[in-house]
Amino acid sequence: MSKALEKVMDAVDIETFLVCDSEEEARKISMQMMNELGFCNASIVFIQYLGPGARVRVRGYIYKPGERYNWFYDENNSQ
Amino acid sequence: MTSQKKKVLLAPLDPVHDIGLKMIKRGLELAGHDAILLPPDYSPEEIIKAAIDNNVDVILISRTLGYRVAEILGSFIDLAEASGLRERVKIGIGGMAIKPELAAELGFDAGFGPGTTVEEAIAFVEGREYIEKDRGARKTKKDITEKYDYTFKNKRIEKLLNTIADEIIEYVKGKTTPGIERAKIREKMFESDDEAELRQLRKEYAAFCDDIVKAYYANGALKEKTRQLTSEELKALKSYLEKVKTKMKPLNLQHIDTNPVVFIQYGTGCPFMDIAHIKTCEAWGADGVVHFDPSWGARTEGFYEGFITHEEDGSVITYENLKLIKDALMPSTLWQVRAHRGLNTPETVLLAGKVGADLTKINIAYGSLGGGTDPERLTVDAVAAIKYAAKFKMPFDVVTNEELCGVPAHKAFAGMLIVTVLGLKLGARPILQPLFCYSPEVMINGQMKDNYIDFNAAKIIALKRIINAPIWCGAPIGFLTQTEDRVQSSLSTALHASLASSLEVDGISIASADEAYSGGPISAAARVDTLRATQSAFRFFGHAKIIPTENSEVWASQIVEGIERTLESVVKNGSFVDALYKGLLGSREEGAYPGRAGRGTVIKNI
Repeated sequence: MSKALEKVMDAVDIETFLVCDSEEEARKISMQMMNELGFCNASIVFIQYLGPGARVRVRGYIYKPGERYNWFYDENNSQ
Repeated sequence: MTSQKKKVLLAPLDPVHDIGLKMIKRGLELAGHDAILLPPDYSPEEIIKAAIDNNVDVILISRTLGYRVAEILGSFIDLAEASGLRERVKIGIGGMAIKPELAAELGFDAGFGPGTTVEEAIAFVEGREYIEKDRGARKTKKDITEKYDYTFKNKRIEKLLNTIADEIIEYVKGKTTPGIERAKIREKMFESDDEAELRQLRKEYAAFCDDIVKAYYANGALKEKTRQLTSEELKALKSYLEKVKTKMKPLNLQHIDTNPVVFIQYGTGCPFMDIAHIKTCEAWGADGVVHFDPSWGARTEGFYEGFITHEEDGSVITYENLKLIKDALMPSTLWQVRAHRGLNTPETVLLAGKVGADLTKINIAYGSLGGGTDPERLTVDAVAAIKYAAKFKMPFDVVTNEELCGVPAHKAFAGMLIVTVLGLKLGARPILQPLFCYSPEVMINGQMKDNYIDFNAAKIIALKRIINAPIWCGAPIGFLTQTEDRVQSSLSTALHASLASSLEVDGISIASADEAYSGGPISAAARVDTLRATQSAFRFFGHAKIIPTENSEVWASQIVEGIERTLESVVKNGSFVDALYKGLLGSREEGAYPGRAGRGTVIKNI
């Protein structure tokens, strides 16, 4: 994980507009995009396809509850 | 005025005026200074000449356009130097295009970027250090029950409610439950510091628990997906909190005094993530936070002990977990621990009271018709829980979530009012919690076909016609109107918040902008979205009101009539508990099913 992503409290939402021909295609592109950006555990929060393409909100969780959150540990205090 | 009178030249170094300079001019004049505002589009030479001619003490330049900003400002300073003005006049620069680092680099005495206040500019003119007001210190904890005397305006309904509440109090006499017995044992544990006695009390406590909790008291085993937090994690929490607390300068969501207090709901499963979310919400203006426990916790007899994290929704209730959260809160933050459903209701209220919660949540009708707990069990437990709430002077809200199952509002309100009067008779301070939601009832009957305003307004009008009691709309407002889209969700929350404010309710619970998303935990960013939206809505409406159509009055009358009819049927039935089983406060056809958890566990003839 990058140093910057370690500072994300929980999740990164990527919101954009995808040029595509169907919702199904938008879903595929969304997941491919997240995969290419390095989010292996991504999910689609919102998707709406109309006319020229799809408005999407895609989420990659950096930390889920109960995990070890790196931002939580003071640099002088961590292991 | 706190300093010597100054003569200040205000000059927009732009083709258009900066509204900021006009506001600063007014502020300076109110503070007793002389302020001269030049027209826009003056050249640096003309501004320098005006400063010399007027013999000013301070020049404040504004620059909004970013184009050639460094070059223009650099030449202005060079001219000021060459004219000899620089040695005796303080020069500050502000505006959208200004960064403090650039101002310092070019030789200005101060640079004011976007967001600068008039007070900051006046402090610069007066040569004193600007001390930002401590926003956090201004926030105070609000008692939303304070101004209510619970007087009934509808005497017929009052009489019916008194009859039912008296019957409930009579019904529970001589009855107890494993939940009540555990609470009594827990009370003894709080009073004891003798290890041998505590060991014995834990054994007695475990005897009233389900096997999954018994295993913990026998050998420390926890159910899957839960674990004890480590000492390293607890040490890190302390360090994290110490750091965050020094940085807290919370916003205020309210624009006017009558805007309701705003609650958020947390329960990520992990007390640390909860605390991180709570601190985020406090910073963005939340006035209160509501603890959500896991659904399995409500259906399990008994509580664990210790600092426990959970990998799924809902944060485990233990004294230690609650204490962690309590210690993390700002003094002004209202804190509610819910006890409205489930098999641990009395002990939940006891723990909440012991730790210092401000509020709890109890409702027999919802908990037994929509929350899965047996009606008789919850009735007996709820009376004990309300007594604890009264003992700890902890108001409780009476939530009406059975509406989401399909129970019509008037029946849900009848149940809510029964528990309200029961609470009053037992010395507690109940709070009405009608839902602001797109419920199955209105989906079927069409009351929200035109708008979301009228039926929600009708609920508040109806309740205010019946009783003078605090109202806290939940939970969260706008339920089933929000989608997974961030903007739509935030807007819907903000509009419902505005409606609640317009109807002059005392509190609201709001969703996050990802509340409708079921694929993972709520994110901190999505919490900020709806807090910001609510703040903007309060700012937009101020004292202006949303005006419902005449339907709201018609439907309010129907709700009041429906409540009266429902209460009459309960009185006629003779037994409140039996009325719950029979569906008088919400039937199976309407989507209400008497819960089975804890059935047959009421112990009689004690």
